[in-house]
Amino acid sequence: MNTQTERAGPISVVIVEDDGPTRQRIADGLSDASAFSVLQAGTLSEARQVLGSGYPDVLLTDLQLPDGHGMDLIRDVRQHSQTTEILVISILGDEESVISAILLGANGYLLKDALLTDIADTVRDLMRGHSPISASIARFIVKRTQGVKDPVVGTDLNTAKLTAREIDILWGIAKGFSYADIADYLGISRQTVPGYIKNIYRKLEVNTRGEAVFEALQQGLIKL
Amino acid sequence: MARPRGRIGWLLLYLALQPVIIVLCILARQIGPPLPPAVYELSGVELQDATGQFRSVDLPDFRPVSEDATSSAIYRVSLERPTTQKDVAWSIFVPRFTTGVQFEVNGSMIHDTHRNVMSRRPDRNTSAIATIPESLLHEGRNELIIHLVTWGPVGGYLDSVYAGPDKVLRPVHDQRSIMFETLPLILVAGQATLGAILGLIWINRRNDRSCGLLALAMLIGFFQYFVSMPASPQTLGLVGAAVVTQAPLVLHFIVRFIDMPPPRWLHLTFVPGIIIAFAGLSGQHDLLHAIFLPLGPPTIALCAAVACVLLGNAALRGNRKALIMAPVFSVMLGCALNDILTVSRLIPGERIFIGWFGYSIVLIVIGVWLTWRFVQALNDADSFADRLVKQVSEAEVKLRASFSREEERARAAALASERTRLMRDLHDGLGGQLVSIVALAEQPRDTTNTIGDAARAALRDLRLVINAMEEIDGDLMLALGSWRERISGQLRAHDMQLVWSVQSSHGLPVYPGLRPRHVIQVIRLLDEAVTNATKHSGASIVTIMIETIPGPDGDARGQISVRDNGCGFAVDAVNGAGTVQGRGLLNMKKRAALCDVTLSVTSAPLGTTVSLLLPADFPEAAQGG
Repeated sequence: MNTQTERAGPISVVIVEDDGPTRQRIADGLSDASAFSVLQAGTLSEARQVLGSGYPDVLLTDLQLPDGHGMDLIRDVRQHSQTTEILVISILGDEESVISAILLGANGYLLKDALLTDIADTVRDLMRGHSPISASIARFIVKRTQGVKDPVVGTDLNTAKLTAREIDILWGIAKGFSYADIADYLGISRQTVPGYIKNIYRKLEVNTRGEAVFEALQQGLIKL
Repeated sequence: MARPRGRIGWLLLYLALQPVIIVLCILARQIGPPLPPAVYELSGVELQDATGQFRSVDLPDFRPVSEDATSSAIYRVSLERPTTQKDVAWSIFVPRFTTGVQFEVNGSMIHDTHRNVMSRRPDRNTSAIATIPESLLHEGRNELIIHLVTWGPVGGYLDSVYAGPDKVLRPVHDQRSIMFETLPLILVAGQATLGAILGLIWINRRNDRSCGLLALAMLIGFFQYFVSMPASPQTLGLVGAAVVTQAPLVLHFIVRFIDMPPPRWLHLTFVPGIIIAFAGLSGQHDLLHAIFLPLGPPTIALCAAVACVLLGNAALRGNRKALIMAPVFSVMLGCALNDILTVSRLIPGERIFIGWFGYSIVLIVIGVWLTWRFVQALNDADSFADRLVKQVSEAEVKLRASFSREEERARAAALASERTRLMRDLHDGLGGQLVSIVALAEQPRDTTNTIGDAARAALRDLRLVINAMEEIDGDLMLALGSWRERISGQLRAHDMQLVWSVQSSHGLPVYPGLRPRHVIQVIRLLDEAVTNATKHSGASIVTIMIETIPGPDGDARGQISVRDNGCGFAVDAVNGAGTVQGRGLLNMKKRAALCDVTLSVTSAPLGTTVSLLLPADFPEAAQGG
């Protein structure tokens, strides 16, 4: 369960999504039983029940759940398991929800209508340490490095820790350049680019163990 | 016509009032200052003539103006203290004299007014009193010699001589001292204070010359008051010049005060004062004497006359300030006239000079008035400022209210226009696609895949609309980045390969005029081109080429091309024709034109290229349609 890169068994995945067809569709994307072992939950309490028996390699969770918010789940999992990769399932991949999830420790997002093959690829990439990032998320982060405050999201996105190279990579992604193009422009190895992304997420993550931060998130000081 | 005549009549009456004021001043002066009971007045006064003989003389006695710096006359009179008053202290009292007196009783000098520096001026109305030492006073007749010392431009004068009990004579002397020594001192001190105030006002308000002139006259008057006499010709020259110069100063003040432009010749009135000062500096008493008398008094008289004419003239024209100034000036003139008449013995009574009094009081009155006016002006300025502050704050409140109203309106308008835009964007894309999904779903044949495609297109468009709302500061590359993600999934679903080719590291120029509506139009054009490629071309590779090329005007223009390696079609055949493809192309061109984008389509058997040549900048007014 805690294997990082090379692993023998299937990747354990928990899907938390209240819409049945969507949940089933994502599960279909991960139907290769030799590669994935999938558990499903439709509500927050179901998810907690499932997680009670152990934390998976990958958690795919929706944010709006009938009995609570996906953020709570992300926070719980991140507090108890550092190795679980977390993806937010999003319709639009909009910055507001995705960035908030990243602040709590998520590693990216998965579009609800992603191609079935893409779903499996994303999960596999994730296990290889490749966090998915979209152009608009990259754009959102680099804008914050330029001191633009978003009055809607209002997050105190701490971009101070990002290096110039990381910001360059984000710019490249925001403008639609492929990882290969970015690596060529920056004179770095193509294989290292996904690692940079994960690093960027880790730097943005707030310390959710500090209750104060979570309280602030809860009370909307840092709007989710 | 009756009215002006009536007004002029009043003004003439007013002018006629001035001589009356002058006469009243002279008459008022005839109310004499206190005198001791006549019983103590000594009679049988004798004056020593040139041969040394004493001859009987009537008091008051007048001596001519001395030719030398000083001259003196000697009077003799006998006095006898009644035996009934043997133990009563006796004094000698001379109520009025010019310029100095010395008392000698039985050959011993007991008093010399020369020792009192403040009373050595011919223009002071001081009296003299001296208690006779008991040891000098014999029973029976005692001899009193009075030396009358004369200096200055005025002739000698000795009024009556009194000898009597000190307790009777001294109160009279003290009363006179209050009137003729203390009071003038108070006046001159007030004059100095006001002069200083007016001077300060003038220093801070240089254009207020009337204040400066009056201040100068006052301060000159103050300083010359303390010069004692007899003095050196230099000092006398300066004092004479100071006295004479005050007249033109007051004249200039009056001219300025009644808002008259001072004529140039008026400055000539300062010349006599300067000549007198120089005559004094020569150090020759005779010269000073010879120059002062024909220059000084006539200058003062001339200034007074000019002032009278100017004031009268201005008063006749209804000048308010002149109307107020004229009676004040008449008082001054009346007092001065009294002095002239007294010196020239044209009116009876004691030789009491009140010209200086009148002048001083008038200056103080005018000074107080000017200061009052200044303070009033300050008050006006204050209340004006207060009013202004109040008005400004009121205006500010109103402005703020209207500004917030305006802001609210602008916000509402912006919101409304944004809502309209969003509605139009959703209607064009999402709405159409959802309707299409509904239609497909209702068809009897299996349309699952088509519905899936339409739904995906709808989702893509929703993401486009949301994405386009983010501010991208004119960098279209940022919008293309998200678009790339969207179409890469779409192409993968059709087993097509996406080649993304950016020709320079910058990609496209930055467009300051780029707005969300432009982004949506451009992306929709590109979407349509890509969708056409997936639907109709049968291509395996779609290449997106982003480049900056030289435009028709030689400027850098962005160009985005969508190229497929499909079967192609005859552009000419579909252009403008009634085919579906033709309509599609026409729509794309219309859409492109809205953003000033030049759309060109080339198709060959080896593939189709749709190129969007972007404008130099996006049009502000363009509305997405």
